[in-house]
Amino acid sequence: MNAKITKILITVIVLAVLSGTAVQFYGHRHYQLPIIAGPGVTKVAMLSEYCESLEGTAADTHIFFLQGKEKGGKTLLIANTHSNEPAAILTALIFLENATLDKGTLIIIPQFNNSGSRNTKPGDGYPLYFDISTAWGSKKFRMGNRNASPLDQWPDPDVYVHYPDKQLLSFLDVRNTNRTWPGRPDGPLMERVTYAAMQIMREEKVDIAIDIHGAETMFPVTNCIVAPQKSIEIATIASMYVNAMEGFENHVEPSPGGFRGLSHREIGDHSDTMPFLLEAPIPFLDQPTGPKTVDLLLNGKDDFLLRLSEQKKLFVPYDETGWPMEKRVGQHCSVILEIMNQFSLANPDKEIQITNVPKYAEVLENGVGYYYRDPAKVDKNRIYKN
Amino acid sequence: MAIALILLVMIAAYVIAKWRKLSVELCMLSSAVAGGIAGALIVQAPPLAQLARHLVEGTFTYLDVILVFCTATIFITIIAESGGVNYVVRGIIRTFYYKRVVVLLLLMFVILIPGALTGAGSISILTVGTPCALALGYLGIPKKRVAAILFIIAGLSAAAPPVNIWAMIISAGTAIPYVGFELPLGIPVLMLGAFTIFVLGWKRESNLELEEVLKDMPDVPAGMSMWRVLLPFLVFFGLVLVSRLLPFTLPILGLPLEFTIAAAVALLVSPKKLNFLILSRDTVKKLTPLLATMAIVGSLQQIMTVTGVRGLISFAVLSTPLVLLYILLILIIPISEGILTYGGAAIVGIPLVWFLDSMGLHATVVIAGLSLIWPLGDGLPPTALIGRLTIMFTKYEGTYWSFLKTTWLPWIVITIIGMLMIIFSSELSFLVRWSM
Repeated sequence: MNAKITKILITVIVLAVLSGTAVQFYGHRHYQLPIIAGPGVTKVAMLSEYCESLEGTAADTHIFFLQGKEKGGKTLLIANTHSNEPAAILTALIFLENATLDKGTLIIIPQFNNSGSRNTKPGDGYPLYFDISTAWGSKKFRMGNRNASPLDQWPDPDVYVHYPDKQLLSFLDVRNTNRTWPGRPDGPLMERVTYAAMQIMREEKVDIAIDIHGAETMFPVTNCIVAPQKSIEIATIASMYVNAMEGFENHVEPSPGGFRGLSHREIGDHSDTMPFLLEAPIPFLDQPTGPKTVDLLLNGKDDFLLRLSEQKKLFVPYDETGWPMEKRVGQHCSVILEIMNQFSLANPDKEIQITNVPKYAEVLENGVGYYYRDPAKVDKNRIYKN
Repeated sequence: MAIALILLVMIAAYVIAKWRKLSVELCMLSSAVAGGIAGALIVQAPPLAQLARHLVEGTFTYLDVILVFCTATIFITIIAESGGVNYVVRGIIRTFYYKRVVVLLLLMFVILIPGALTGAGSISILTVGTPCALALGYLGIPKKRVAAILFIIAGLSAAAPPVNIWAMIISAGTAIPYVGFELPLGIPVLMLGAFTIFVLGWKRESNLELEEVLKDMPDVPAGMSMWRVLLPFLVFFGLVLVSRLLPFTLPILGLPLEFTIAAAVALLVSPKKLNFLILSRDTVKKLTPLLATMAIVGSLQQIMTVTGVRGLISFAVLSTPLVLLYILLILIIPISEGILTYGGAAIVGIPLVWFLDSMGLHATVVIAGLSLIWPLGDGLPPTALIGRLTIMFTKYEGTYWSFLKTTWLPWIVITIIGMLMIIFSSELSFLVRWSM
C-alpha cells in the first residue's frame, strides 16, 4: 500500500512539473515579437512568396522592403540565421524601424530561421527570453536556438548530405540555415528557407547580401567580416575604414572554398550577389563561462573569459567591460553601412543612400533600446507579429 | 569560488544518494536537482521559477539517441526471437571454425560496419552484438574477453569513417569542414581493431571439435534460412546506404524509422509467430535504466551549464599548461564521455581544438586522435553506454569492473595512438591531404 501511495505521489509530482514546464515552452514557441515597420518600409512580403512550399509552415517569415526615392543598388540584410546570436535581430530592427533610403533598396529578413527562434537548446541552459531597455519600457525577445525546431523539421538524417555538393555534414546541420545554402524548393524545410532567400536575390537582382551573426570569443573566426573572393575587396576597405575612422577592429576572413552550405560561400557561387557574413563576439556562447544568465547574454562580462584573455587564449581583446550588446550591435551597424558605402563608391550607377541609421559611437552612447519605437504609439497597421 | 561550491553540492548529493543505495539514474537526478537549487540560491542561475523547466528541457538533449536505442533493440530482439541469431552463429562456426585469422577479422568487420555507418557504437552492439558474441564464445574465447572485444571494437566503430559524431560536433562548432577524415580515422581504427581482436581473441580456452560445438549450440527453428536472416539487415543497411547514395531523391527517414521498417520486415519473414506487443514491451522494460540514464544525463548537463559548473570544468581544462594537458587528456577525454556522452565533444572538445589549433597543431588530425580516445569513455560510469549494452547483450555475469579490467591492453594502446596523433598531428597531415 505504501509503495502504491509513493508511486501515485511521484506520478502526481512529475505530471505537475511537466504541465508547468509545458506551459512555459508553449508560451515561448507562440510568443509574437512586435516588429514595427519604420517610415522607410514600403512593402512587406512573406518568404513563402519566393518558395510556395513554405506557406503555412513555421519557417515562413516576414520580409521588409525599404525602397528608395531613386533607383540604385539593392542590399539584402539577413538576421537570426542563428537565433541564439541576438545581436543580429537587434541590428536588423534598428535598420527596420529607422532607416530611410534616398537611393537604392534595402530588403530585411529579421527572423530568417523563424522556427529556430521558437526553439530552445536542450543541454545548454539558455534563458527563454531577454529584455532590451528602452525609453518607454522594455522590449521582450525570444532567445532561440542555432537550429530549427524538430517540431517543424524532423527526423534528422543520420548524416546530412549537403545539396548539391554532397559534402557530409553533421546530422544537426540539416536544421541549420547557415549550412543549407543554396537550398532547393522541395528539400527539407531549412533548405527551402535558404532557397527562398536565393530566389529573392535572383528575382530582385540583389547586389549585396549581408548575413549577421555572432561567434564565441574563443572561435578564431570572430569579430570579422567573412567574404569570398568576389566580395573581399569591399570587405577589406570597409574593415580598414571602420578601424581608422570609427576606432574598432573588424578584420576580414576569406570564405573557405571547401566548406559547403555557408551563406558566404554558396550565395556567391550560385548568384550574382556579393555575400558578406558579419561576426561579432558573443561571450554567452563560449564554453568556459560562468552561469548562463541574461546578464551574460547582454553584457558579455565573464571572469573565466577574463582570465583566459590574460592567458592569451581568446581571439578578441577582452577586459573587465566584457562585450556589451551596444558594442556588438554598434559594430554591426557601422560595418553594414560601410559595406553599402564602399559598394556605392565602386558602383556609382548602383548607389545606395541610406539615412537615420546610427553608427558605432552613437549606439554605444545611447544604447540599443533607444532606437526602438513604442508599439503603443505607432499605427497598428505598421506592427507585424513575428 | 561560488561555482566550485555548487560543484561540491552536486558531488555531495550524488554521494549521499549512492550511500542511500539509490540507482545511478536517481543519484544523477539528485545531483542535478541539488545543483539547480544551489545555483538558484548562490548565483541566481537558474532562477528558482525556471529550475523545473531546465530539468525537463535537459531530458530532451538525447531524445534522438533514446529513440534509436528503442527501435534498434526491438529490431534485433525480433531477429533473436525468430531464431535468426542462432542460425547465423551456426553458419559462421560451421564455415570458419578452423580458419581463426579469417573468422576473427570477419567478425571484426561485422562489428565495425553498423557503428561506422551510424556513428554510434551502441548500434553495433544492438544489431550484431548478440550473434558476434555467441560466435566468439564458440571459438573458445571466455565471456569476459568476448565482452571486452565487443566493447572496444564497437567503440572503434563509432570513431570509424564515414560517420564520426564527435568529429562532426567539433567540426560544426569550430567551422572546420568535416572532410579529410577517412584515412586519419580509417587506418588507426582498422589497425587497432585487428590488434584488439587478435590480442583478446587469439587464445582458445576450450578446444572442442566442430561436431561437439554444433551439437552444443541452440537449435534453429524449422524454416529458418539465410534470406530470412539477411533480408531485415539488407533492408536496414540498404536504407542507410540508399539515403547516402540518393540523398536528394529520397525523403529523410532517420535511423528510428529505418530500424522500425527493418523490424517490420524481420517480423514478416520470421518462421516463428511472434507477439510484437509483448516483445516490444519487454524490450523497452529491459532498456529503461539505460534510457533513464540518457534522459538524466541531459538534465545534469543542462544544470551544469546554467550554473556555470560546465564552464568551470572547461576553464580548468583550458588553463592547464600544455604538457600537463597532454597527460591529463588521457583521463579527461574518456571521463567527459562517461559523464556527458557526446556532450563532452562540445564542452571539452570544441575549446580544446581551438586552443590546439592556435598552437599550430593540425585540427583535423587532432580531432581524429581525440575521437579514438572518446569511445573508451563509453565504458565509464555514470553513463557507461556501450559498456552496459555490451554486458546486456553478451550476458556476461561477472562484475562490471572485471569486464572493464580485461580491456586494459587495447585501452592503453588506443590511448597511446590517439595521443601520438594529437602531438604529431602536423607530421600526419598528409593523411588528410590523401583523403581529399
